[in-house]
Amino acid sequence: MPTIIFVAADGTTHEVTAVADQSVMEVALGAGVPGIVAECNGAAACATCHCYFDRAYVDCIGEAGEHENEMLDFTASERTADSRLSCQVRIVAAMEGMTVRVPSAQ
Amino acid sequence: MASAAPVITDISYTDLLEDPYPIFKRVRDTAPAVFVAAANLTLVTRFDDIMSIERDPATYSSDNPASLVNKVMGPTFMRKDGAAHAAGRKAIEPSFRPGTIKEHWAPKFTGICERLIGSLREAGEADLFSALAAPMASLSLMEMIGFKAMPWETLAEWSQSLIDGAGNYSRDAEIERKAMEAGAGIDAAIEAMLDHHRANPNPSILSSMVHADPPMPIEEMRANIKVIIGGGLNEPRDAILTLTLGLLENHAQKESVLAKPELWPTAFEEAIRWISPIGMYPRRVTRPADLAGVALPEGVQIGLCVGAANRDDRRFIEPDRFDVFRPKQSHLAFGAGAHFCAGTWVSRQTVGRIVVPMLFERLANLRLREDAPPVIRGWVFRGPVSLPVRWDA
Repeated sequence: MPTIIFVAADGTTHEVTAVADQSVMEVALGAGVPGIVAECNGAAACATCHCYFDRAYVDCIGEAGEHENEMLDFTASERTADSRLSCQVRIVAAMEGMTVRVPSAQ
Repeated sequence: MASAAPVITDISYTDLLEDPYPIFKRVRDTAPAVFVAAANLTLVTRFDDIMSIERDPATYSSDNPASLVNKVMGPTFMRKDGAAHAAGRKAIEPSFRPGTIKEHWAPKFTGICERLIGSLREAGEADLFSALAAPMASLSLMEMIGFKAMPWETLAEWSQSLIDGAGNYSRDAEIERKAMEAGAGIDAAIEAMLDHHRANPNPSILSSMVHADPPMPIEEMRANIKVIIGGGLNEPRDAILTLTLGLLENHAQKESVLAKPELWPTAFEEAIRWISPIGMYPRRVTRPADLAGVALPEGVQIGLCVGAANRDDRRFIEPDRFDVFRPKQSHLAFGAGAHFCAGTWVSRQTVGRIVVPMLFERLANLRLREDAPPVIRGWVFRGPVSLPVRWDA
């Protein structure tokens, strides 16, 4: 049950105990982290759960699939090398202490 | 303790078709879920309630063995949940990827739109329903599915016949016959192209289906292509007309958008919030549920009125107004949850970036006709059925 630290666009932090096998999007929504819309609720179809991930954890975050990669070109906030759709990233124990930054617009 | 859904009996079906918004408001202000006798459904009209329902498919299922959609179209992914739905969805995903849309479909759709607008330019007046929106939606969809070229009217008729069949709650024999006839025509059109797509992988939906891993079984291809025809034609058609109407009725907003083309995407989202092409879709309650204080018994059919939720004054200021400049808020015109519209990005690109901008650019001084006002109809599907305009030829 790793602790994930969400940093909202206004700088406030939300420390959340995450359940393995949930997506990062589900964890954020469950904890009421502001700034994640998730219109399609995990279908990788809307690009409104975009987040910036801590590259130190890249081994457990994994790489974006082909479809997600194209969706990331249409995010409302700037896409960077750290961008992922949080619905496509699944929680694993090794994410203990990982920071996820929520952008200012979805 | 949760109480039973209130019942409204003094609304006629015609009222719903002509102008559902005052009814939606009344239902929204009454309770989270209200049984409306004219619709023979328990309607859910508040934004937050629909969002929470769409996040709980175990309680509010899309799967409905008794569904008329299944009877008319076969085993479609629109009426499945979880893994069964996801597999069908994944099989068509390559055709709908944003990059594929931009690089492959956008140039084709631009060509179709140029031809249509070019052919009506001299006339100086037209009904944009039949002169532009319906053929544009039909010809684009034909390309996307990967059908042989056919008259636009054929696909449009198939689409309408399927929709009528799926909503044929009175079991009218003639409506059923036409829906079945459309289905047979579609099956034949699929059959005629399958070998071609098997041998030539391409971005079309039929190609995606036959090259999916595992390939989609033929009966699912037939059913899902019917869903795509039933749903993929009237929504872009109606969105084209609604966005055009919103701008033509609001001169200052139109001038702003024309002066700043970067506003087109916002204008498009506002148009489909204002008059959502899909106004309602059904879900089935699988176990006794409490929806914000209203008890919903197992087995009850509920109608999620996204057309109402998109005018929920708990979320949108002056929701009945078309206002390109309202504060950005997500809407439910593409639905929510796992069934979020697969055509979202095609529609954003085609309607908001190609067709309506080109219309205003090429037809100078485009304006409504005072002697022939637009006609808007529907509540399950809603949009202008006639939009007569003039321009300086």
